[in-house]
Amino acid sequence: DEEVHFRQRVIEVDPLEEAEFEKELKALMQESLDSRKLELRARPTINMVIPMNIFEGPTKDHHGRGGFEVESGDEMLDEEPGGSKEVRVKVLVKRGSKQQTKQMYIPRDCSLVQSTKQKEAAELEE
Amino acid sequence: EENVGDDDSYSEYGKKDISEHACRYCGVANPACVVRCNVPSCRKWFCNSRGNTSGSHIVNHLVRAKHKEVCLHKDSPLGETILECYNCGCRNVFLLGFISAKTESVVVLLCREPCLSVNALKDMNWDLSQWCPLIDDRCFLQWLVKVPSEQEQLRARQISAQQINKVEELWKTNPDATLEDLEKPGVDDEPQPVAVKYEDAYQYQNVFAPLIKLEADYDKMMKESQSKDNLTVRWDIGLNKKRIAYFVFPKEDNELRLVPGDELRLRYSGDAVHPAWQSVGHVIKLTAQEEVALELRASQGFPVDVNHGFSVDFVWKSTSFDRMQGAMKTFAVDETSVSGYIYHHLLGHEVEVQMVRNTLPRRFGAPGLPDLNASQIFAVKSVLQKPVSLIQGPPGTGKTVTSAAIVYHMAKQGQGQVLVCAPSNVAVDQLAEKISATGLKVVRLSAKSREAVSSPVEHLTLHYQVRHLDTSEKSELHKLQQLKDEQGELSSSDEKKYKALKRATEREISQSADVICCTCVGAGDPRLTNFRFRQVLIDESTQSTEPECLIPLVLGAKQVVLVGDHCQLGPVIMCKKAARAGLAQSLFERLVLLGVKPIRLQVQYRMHPALSEFPSNSFYEGTLQNGVTINERQSPGIDFPWPVPNRPMFFYVQMGQEEISASGTSYLNRTEASNVEKIVTTFLRSGVVPSQIGVITPYEGQRAYIVNYMSRNGALRQQLYKEIEVASVDSFQGREKDYIILSCVRSNEHQGIGFLNDPRRLNVALTRARYGIVILGNPKVLSKQQLWNGLLTHYKEHECLVEGPLNNLKQSMVQFQKPKKIYN
Ligand SMILES: [Zn+2]
Ligand SMILES: [Zn+2]
Ligand SMILES: [Zn+2]
Repeated sequence: DEEVHFRQRVIEVDPLEEAEFEKELKALMQESLDSRKLELRARPTINMVIPMNIFEGPTKDHHGRGGFEVESGDEMLDEEPGGSKEVRVKVLVKRGSKQQTKQMYIPRDCSLVQSTKQKEAAELEE
Repeated sequence: EENVGDDDSYSEYGKKDISEHACRYCGVANPACVVRCNVPSCRKWFCNSRGNTSGSHIVNHLVRAKHKEVCLHKDSPLGETILECYNCGCRNVFLLGFISAKTESVVVLLCREPCLSVNALKDMNWDLSQWCPLIDDRCFLQWLVKVPSEQEQLRARQISAQQINKVEELWKTNPDATLEDLEKPGVDDEPQPVAVKYEDAYQYQNVFAPLIKLEADYDKMMKESQSKDNLTVRWDIGLNKKRIAYFVFPKEDNELRLVPGDELRLRYSGDAVHPAWQSVGHVIKLTAQEEVALELRASQGFPVDVNHGFSVDFVWKSTSFDRMQGAMKTFAVDETSVSGYIYHHLLGHEVEVQMVRNTLPRRFGAPGLPDLNASQIFAVKSVLQKPVSLIQGPPGTGKTVTSAAIVYHMAKQGQGQVLVCAPSNVAVDQLAEKISATGLKVVRLSAKSREAVSSPVEHLTLHYQVRHLDTSEKSELHKLQQLKDEQGELSSSDEKKYKALKRATEREISQSADVICCTCVGAGDPRLTNFRFRQVLIDESTQSTEPECLIPLVLGAKQVVLVGDHCQLGPVIMCKKAARAGLAQSLFERLVLLGVKPIRLQVQYRMHPALSEFPSNSFYEGTLQNGVTINERQSPGIDFPWPVPNRPMFFYVQMGQEEISASGTSYLNRTEASNVEKIVTTFLRSGVVPSQIGVITPYEGQRAYIVNYMSRNGALRQQLYKEIEVASVDSFQGREKDYIILSCVRSNEHQGIGFLNDPRRLNVALTRARYGIVILGNPKVLSKQQLWNGLLTHYKEHECLVEGPLNNLKQSMVQFQKPKKIYN
């Protein structure tokens, strides 16, 4: 096999550029927030019940399950060996009026996972 | 070893079929790493790597373009998904974040406002305390949109924040623009300037190609905007039985000068009796009366009984620019285009000095040419021994004779045919004539468009030789030619036969020549495609651009001689942006910067010694010697009121005001014009003939005014004044007149002195005269410029700064101004 060596990348970002970019980004964030606050006076109705059948886990047989289907995102991706770095989560999305889940891996140290794990731990202690 | 272009990334990138979903900034095309901007007018893909910028490419794009929606790739873990709030459908990525269910491994996208702040959610199964924004640290969540690997990033285009801003700006008006378009100089960008040294021929091409493009675009734009209406046409028939239309093409100060060979379209819009008509043709002549003679291509249907109401458009041709681009490409990709030594030398690489191993001739002159002087012999001798040499020929120093002698000896070395070029047809003709005088077999290759243009060396032209080759095998070609001449066209089978025979004959004649002479651009003629020239001489090389000079060189050059004078005018570049970037610098000049010392011809045979003194001191470090004596430049019987006898020169102080000419684009000075007429009349009265006099003025307004004024108000016969050449400095370069009158025109205190502040232009203006020169101008204005100040001081010191009526000239006491520094 041909061995390819790369020199260590040293990314030098112009601090002026960085400051300017950060300012633009903040402005865009703020503008987005403000526009929502002004426009959406009426609070939306909440429709976020987690479908019950989600707990059945992923399945390839997603026919005849009403308006809900489970799709596997990437079948080839096995769980990390030892399962240490990443955890599998189900992402809940809507496609039209249909609900779907897709599976995805997120780092174990992500705050999203952390909270769930902590809760689980807390519940176990009780 | 020849260099292999190290610009692989660039060419690779061009070659690759760029996937549709490749990051529009850096080219990364891994589906897991890219997202598509979902704004309908945009729909561009970007990756999630930061490259050299503070935010990732997708975030950069969204912020710069103020776009807010994205869609994931169909092959990404989540499939083709528009990111939106699970509850309200909000797609603004700056508001979106993930939350997770309290107990299960389920996550969902939720907008920060309002959904996240709705109380109702708190009671449900969701944990709102850990809302995890989609964009974190100026990057998309890396587990949602992967960051390309180090390896992927290194192979990607290294785009800077500046480039990103520029391309985003470009997309606002042209959504399909690519990053390559950025390299192309835009409306406001300055192109990359020329360098002294280049890494390789690819870099060379990268610098010059855009400059040539700029110049070509400008040339096209300018020429195609030159339509003239309401022209009056006079019809004639040429010797070759072709229709010729004569008309006056009004000139302006925009530097567009028609030259023989230019293609024009003549149009008539039609009337009750005549249908609309048009035909293209080539300019074959520009008469002294400023009429254009256009030989039309059409063979019938001319509205010959109509004379008024015609229009003319310029038909722009990209040929010369295409050939320059082609030569640069050949230089880069074809190892045999020039020898290795010349390749590295031209690019400014350190190369060991090489001598050409050739036996030197015993004498360096050549048959049919005048004897050479010492500096000319030295030039011939050194040139023959070196692979690359420069000869500087100041005005009147016999560079054509020297060049002809060099070509003669090169041709005698038996290394194959010698290629001799110059940027202008006039210079090529002069050189062809001198070389032919040595007895060498010369073929002058003219552009097809110029075959009908008369030439002093017509007998040497290829088309003439083809027609007049007197052997029996050619009788078939001659028969067909005759038929074609008589009928105007041939049957298609005859035409085919005619073309094949003609090509074969052209080839045969060209191959048997010792020397081929053509313009630099002409060296790119398809008729020379399979020719190789080891030895190339380029005259007037300081008047051609580098890419133009390259055209004759890439036909296999091993020995190159560039002749010119970088102290006289350089190439005319019309696009200011290209000129500023250095396109006006000739290869000769760059080689001088690289340390090649030009061999200077030092004896001038043109000017009266009094006239050569100032130019020699100011432009040639005082090295110009006079090959003519005062006696040889005294014209017996000419009685002209020179203020100092034996010094046939004076500066005639003019205080008249300049005006804007009728066209509104040029300047004229009536007082000066009337004094030019008085001087011309005095010359003519004293026995000088019109062809001996040249009037130089930098402005078209003044030129037109002088021509008009003299023929209306001249004291002598009108015809005499009409025969006097009144022209710009540039059109006098390379030529001489016995007497020169220089009308400087500008007297405006505030606006400088325009055209004449280029020292090289002043040098040319001052060195055209053999017997005498008169300069008209306002010393108060001119003295502000350092060089002019020197000239005025020189004239004053020699008591040649005068004022008053011509028959009673008095020394002028006008005060000079302090000169400002020149920034040339
Ligand atoms: Zn966009
Ligand atoms: Zn990218
Ligand atoms: Zn929402």
